Amino acid sequence: MFEYLKEYFDLQGLILCLVLVAMGLVSVYSATYDAGAAETFQKQLIWAGAGMATLLLAAFFPMKTLQRIAFPSYVFMLGVLLVVLVVGRTISGSTSWFGVGGLGVQPSEFAKVATVLALAAFLSRTTTSLSNVRHLIIALGIVLVPMILVLAQPDLGTSIVFFIMLLPILYWGGASNFVLAAILSPIIVAAGALFGTFAFLFTLLLAAVMLYLTRENRFAAAVAFSISLVIGLSVQTVYDRLPVYQQKRIATFLNPDLDPRGAGYNVLQSKVAIGSGGVFGKGYLQGTQTQLNFIPEQWTDFIFCVPGEEFGFIGASVVLVCFTALLLHGLKIAHLSKNKFASAASVGIVGVFGTHMLINIGMSMGILPVIGIPLPFLSYGGSALIANLAMVGLLMNFYANRKEH
Amino acid sequence: MMHDEQFGTPQRYKTLVGAVVLIFAILMARLYQLQLLYHGELDKKSEENSVRALIKEPIRGYIYDRNGKLVVDVGPSYTVMIVPAEFDRRNMPLLSRLLNMTPATIEERMARARAYSPYLPSRLKRDITFRQLAALEEHLPLLSGISYQVESKRSYPTKAYASHLLGYSREISDAQLAQVGEYYRQGDVIGTAGLEARYEQFLRGEKGFEYVSVNSIGQIIGSFEDGKRDVISKEGFDLILGMDVELQAFAESLMTVNNYSGAIVAMDPSNGSLLAMVSKPDFDPAIMSGVTPAELWARLNSDPSKPLFNRAALTRYPPGSTFKMVLAAAALEEGIIDETYRIHCTGGFRYGNRVWKDLHVHGSTNVVEAIQRSCNVFFYQLIFKVGFEKWSEYGRRFGFGSPTGIDTGEETAGIMPSPAYYDARYGKGKWTLGYTVSLSIGQGEVGVSPLQMARYVAALANGGILHQPHAVMYVNNKRTGKIEELPHAQKPVGLSPKTIELIREGMRRVVQEPGGTASLARVKGIQSAGKTGTAENPHGEDHAWYVGFAPFENPTIAVVVMLENSGFGGAKAAPMAGLIIEKYHYGQLIRALPRPIPAARDSVKTITHVSSR
Repeated sequence: MFEYLKEYFDLQGLILCLVLVAMGLVSVYSATYDAGAAETFQKQLIWAGAGMATLLLAAFFPMKTLQRIAFPSYVFMLGVLLVVLVVGRTISGSTSWFGVGGLGVQPSEFAKVATVLALAAFLSRTTTSLSNVRHLIIALGIVLVPMILVLAQPDLGTSIVFFIMLLPILYWGGASNFVLAAILSPIIVAAGALFGTFAFLFTLLLAAVMLYLTRENRFAAAVAFSISLVIGLSVQTVYDRLPVYQQKRIATFLNPDLDPRGAGYNVLQSKVAIGSGGVFGKGYLQGTQTQLNFIPEQWTDFIFCVPGEEFGFIGASVVLVCFTALLLHGLKIAHLSKNKFASAASVGIVGVFGTHMLINIGMSMGILPVIGIPLPFLSYGGSALIANLAMVGLLMNFYANRKEH
Repeated sequence: MMHDEQFGTPQRYKTLVGAVVLIFAILMARLYQLQLLYHGELDKKSEENSVRALIKEPIRGYIYDRNGKLVVDVGPSYTVMIVPAEFDRRNMPLLSRLLNMTPATIEERMARARAYSPYLPSRLKRDITFRQLAALEEHLPLLSGISYQVESKRSYPTKAYASHLLGYSREISDAQLAQVGEYYRQGDVIGTAGLEARYEQFLRGEKGFEYVSVNSIGQIIGSFEDGKRDVISKEGFDLILGMDVELQAFAESLMTVNNYSGAIVAMDPSNGSLLAMVSKPDFDPAIMSGVTPAELWARLNSDPSKPLFNRAALTRYPPGSTFKMVLAAAALEEGIIDETYRIHCTGGFRYGNRVWKDLHVHGSTNVVEAIQRSCNVFFYQLIFKVGFEKWSEYGRRFGFGSPTGIDTGEETAGIMPSPAYYDARYGKGKWTLGYTVSLSIGQGEVGVSPLQMARYVAALANGGILHQPHAVMYVNNKRTGKIEELPHAQKPVGLSPKTIELIREGMRRVVQEPGGTASLARVKGIQSAGKTGTAENPHGEDHAWYVGFAPFENPTIAVVVMLENSGFGGAKAAPMAGLIIEKYHYGQLIRALPRPIPAARDSVKTITHVSSR
């Protein structure tokens, strides 16, 4: 019986995500403790329940059907993203919500799932080859269209996730090193340009070397390099047109001491919270940073401080280890899957989780800029929790069907 | 189309696993760094976050006069405090009635307090009356979030106002708050004028802090570490003035009795400390302590007699004949004349097509007699011998045209004309030496403050040392427990004893000899010296000057009296100076107050304009 269960039911994935969800509920409770808290926690509890139901639904959904409806549901989600731009509710400057009574739905969270599935479906077609320029452009387009719609909301954080999660799935799908280098180059150069002339020239050199080493033909390499150069040069212009709050975030990341009471405040307090936790933490509901609300909106983007402060290095390590184990587990499923759609989708899901984890935790610890994206399973928020649990359900589904072609 | 061979190869699987492990390693390393390596430092920061400091107000320093008399005292003042989160708005009508504040004002103050902290006490109203306090105390059990604390405010136990010297402190304004930063907060008192402002750093003391732990929403739950880290507030330092408060009060009353506006400055010529500084009209500094009602403040500000204006430091009138010693000093010191040099005063002086008249025909006159009798003709012709440039240089040597460095607040630099000044004012070559004729007797563009005059006459009294005038002599440093003398600048004017002797002799004769212009300044039993002057005032009655010092041999006091719009210096200013010297020398008046005496005339500014200009 157990052997059968092990063969067809992904207990490991489920347990890892349950640990993370439990840690999330505990953290949200602590972060909102006594500040009109009960309501926030109860909502999250309901969403966790809804998420588990979604997980089970995704886990037992017929895989072939899933593959068939991947494109239609992607197109449907693009439509939803368009509609939300027009009629959506604006929360903190970003039109990304549908109001349903007292609840809000954030379609961009579900668009991630749809995009991953659509890209996986495209890559798994027997005719698709990423060495074909036309196919490559279609693959890029599948990601770039929703990304631009999200960027228009404007939600910079989520659109960055869209872009970065594209890389592992393209890599997995067989994109040559040159293609990856050509996609990476402009990003590196743009980031370098933000840091100043020297960094710009250095990253430009790096891009040139990367493109040269991976080149397939000189013309393509030259084009890719030119694009990087133009993007790098236009960074200042784009920076000037960014909303002030985002300019501030970037400037504060480059030099956090610039504004310790303003944009740098969250990061500073978040670092203080995590650092003051020490090895064993201050104890549950005993974290002064958390309980005295030193970190604004902690229960969303800065949730990682709660285990960091109250459970210390041990608690924070548990979170990191579970996440990493889940990512490796996802890669393992991708590796084992005989079905190309399942394989590519698994890598896509790992890409989504990995990108969120890296950016969110990196930002909480002050090694990455403050980009407002949630930490999967832990951050407060219904849409994200349901979408993330759905993706775990998909991983479980692919695990169970790993031997199917 | 060829099937893609590269899809999901084992090599690519390994690379992705490697990437995940790398990310994990980076995040773990950072976690280790923050939670283990930086733990101490970040833990301290977090502790600072959960502890709040309650401010304990220090007592402002006292101010004493030169004889140790208390001039500025500190008395209790009751301040109503509010904890915004605990205040029940249903009590608003009661609180409004008790404190005589409109609900709107209370709301506005409460909003500011809330911005500081909803859970910590902030000031709601300062300096309530004792009756209000009694009524409030009765209702206190009903008024949650309301309390009072005893603070200090200024009180003035002597009869002297000395308002322009002492200055005042007031509740800090938003503008000041933005400027002075860190130390102060809303509702604090800060020195705003006079010594209170200049010596704010000494007087204010240091705030103390009582550390309390706050709970999750910032409410106080008890003292922090049993108060071991509390800091007791430190009293402000006391100031010890050069002022003789009796003399100050006497000088003020002389002005008040006669209803004069103007200034009196009395200085110790040996060191430049101010024995008295009066500016009339003035105000009672007590009205500035505690809370000044807005309408009173508005009235002080808009009063046409300008009671807030310090006439001793800020007026800039021509000094008239009191300035003649500058030219005399220049001529003697440069060897242009000596005491044997004489001119024949015919009662008039012609330069070009203009004639300047003197009031009297003084006949044969040397420099000592010219000062004694205030002979204008002597000085009219003398400036051509000395030259404009030299005259101007000696004026600057006596400190004219530059601020004195007084410690009571704002002052004017005055105007000391020079060729460069005229070039700038009229244009090069567009003025003639004829302009300087008036300057020789202290009329025209030359502008001086009574303080500058005091410094000048003190230098003539003490043999040629220019002292920086100052009100504060010592500071009682409560940190070191020592009385510390404050340093003051001094520099020699650069006059030989012979020059000084001749000028002083002239000034002695002004008071003590027949034919002098200030016999009304005489004081029984001591030799006194001085000089009268009249400042031409194109806008109205002339301003009267008297500068003098006494006793002649070892001067202990230099006095300047400046009376606005009161005519000739010898008539009104000189007798007042005599009374002040008498009071200071003997500690009291040894004569009955003088009867009104008919005006004796000073040298006159009869200027006949012949030119068509």
